[in-house]
Amino acid sequence: MNSLISEGLNLMVYGMGFVFVFLTLLVIVTTLMSKLVNKFLPEPIVEPKAKASAPQAAGNNDELLAVLTAAVHKYRK
Amino acid sequence: MEKILQLWEASGIYNISAGQVTMIAVGLLLLFLAIRKNFEPLLLVPIGFGGIMANIPEAGLAFSAVENAVHFAKPEVLQGLAASLNITSVDPHEILHAYHGSNPSTHHAATMVAADAGYSNGMLYNFYSVAIASGVAPLLIFMGVGAMTDFGPLLANPKTLFLGAAAQFGIFATVLGAVGLSAMGIMDFTVQDAAAIGIIGGADGPTAIYVASMLAPQLLGAIAVAAYSYMALVPMIQPPIMRALTTESERKIAMHQLRHVSKTEKIMFPIALLILVALLLPDAAPLLGMFCFGNLMRECGVVDRLSDTAQNALINIVTIFLGLSVGSKLSADKFLDLNTLGILLLGIVAFGIGTAAGVLMAKLMNKLEGGNAINPLIGSAGVSAVPMAARVSNKIGLEANPQNFLLMHAMGPNVAGVIGSAVAAGVMIKFVG
Repeated sequence: MNSLISEGLNLMVYGMGFVFVFLTLLVIVTTLMSKLVNKFLPEPIVEPKAKASAPQAAGNNDELLAVLTAAVHKYRK
Repeated sequence: MEKILQLWEASGIYNISAGQVTMIAVGLLLLFLAIRKNFEPLLLVPIGFGGIMANIPEAGLAFSAVENAVHFAKPEVLQGLAASLNITSVDPHEILHAYHGSNPSTHHAATMVAADAGYSNGMLYNFYSVAIASGVAPLLIFMGVGAMTDFGPLLANPKTLFLGAAAQFGIFATVLGAVGLSAMGIMDFTVQDAAAIGIIGGADGPTAIYVASMLAPQLLGAIAVAAYSYMALVPMIQPPIMRALTTESERKIAMHQLRHVSKTEKIMFPIALLILVALLLPDAAPLLGMFCFGNLMRECGVVDRLSDTAQNALINIVTIFLGLSVGSKLSADKFLDLNTLGILLLGIVAFGIGTAAGVLMAKLMNKLEGGNAINPLIGSAGVSAVPMAARVSNKIGLEANPQNFLLMHAMGPNVAGVIGSAVAAGVMIKFVG
């Protein structure tokens, strides 16, 4: 009977210990992987795209705003 | 008149036993919970219906050919079976006992004798052998879960993996509880049984079924039913524990927004995880291997068709067979005993301890990081139960602070819990399998 309990205790100590060791290693590996990826393989050309599209979008917005204002004015009259 | 008598003697009413009536009632209860109360309906509908079918008298749907042959007990068949199993007695109980304890070759010989006499495996027995005994169904479900999982929140904050580790304490504490009950003579569990029961605390259906099918197949029905019922009850079991262990000000902690995670990181993560599993714990390779495979299909972006099948059509098909197979284990002789009650009780304790351990770990991490960085409510999501546990964290967080959305922060520990319980399963199989 006592051997059953000690088996259970063993399982708990080693099992829980191993889960923590494994996930700690996973934290280290993941952090390292993220750092390496962001250093050597950064997201390709996202920024220029955003810059290129931003003024265009702004221009569109101005145009759109003008059209909308005109429409509203016309409607109000 | 004799013909009518014959029909009567072959009818279900004539043959039904009290145990079967009870189990059909249990099956109807599961259907009621699924249909009216919306408790994990995708699983409890097939499980409940399978349970009812398994208890239809005389049909023997959940029994193997040999068990069916023994049930009908023709003397010459019993003699043949006894001879093939190398025993002298033709008592049905002793034949069944020898059959269940036999090694694969005598098992096969007995099956051949039964087949010669014209008996065949029941339908649900066949489903069970193909889907669960072979390990296929839980692994395919794990692949589908991998294909549905977004590791973004976890990659943005890898430290949440510790929460997924802490919540696995429920599993191991329950193992100790189960062997403790056996040592006191209240229940009768071996250490394998205890390990399979503990896994309920991982709140992960496929993992629980996988471990139970390897370590304690005779308890599989009760373990699966307990695991899925408690997963449905997560919104009721967790909140009181979470409130009791946290202060109002801790619940109000707002977490800052997660960083953007690049596509390359998401592709690399399942590969890194698989390598780590290969190096450290090959026993968890089936579960985590399929999980990583599903996730890689999702993230790599070139096999969208496969990823779509894995997370929709395939997982649905497998769920049907898995549910019916689990139902086949709800036959009266296997389910109706004191051990089932013990499993249900230990299961809910496992859940509670896991939740508490996750919250306490989150509190500790919060203290270490200056007291205003981590909301302890996300710790409870470390028990898997994706995405229900994360939603519960979010809901309790909103109660304390209506501007505080914890859902994405809680998804990190939530998927970490899936990895954690798969690792715990691997350790169990390694140590006591």
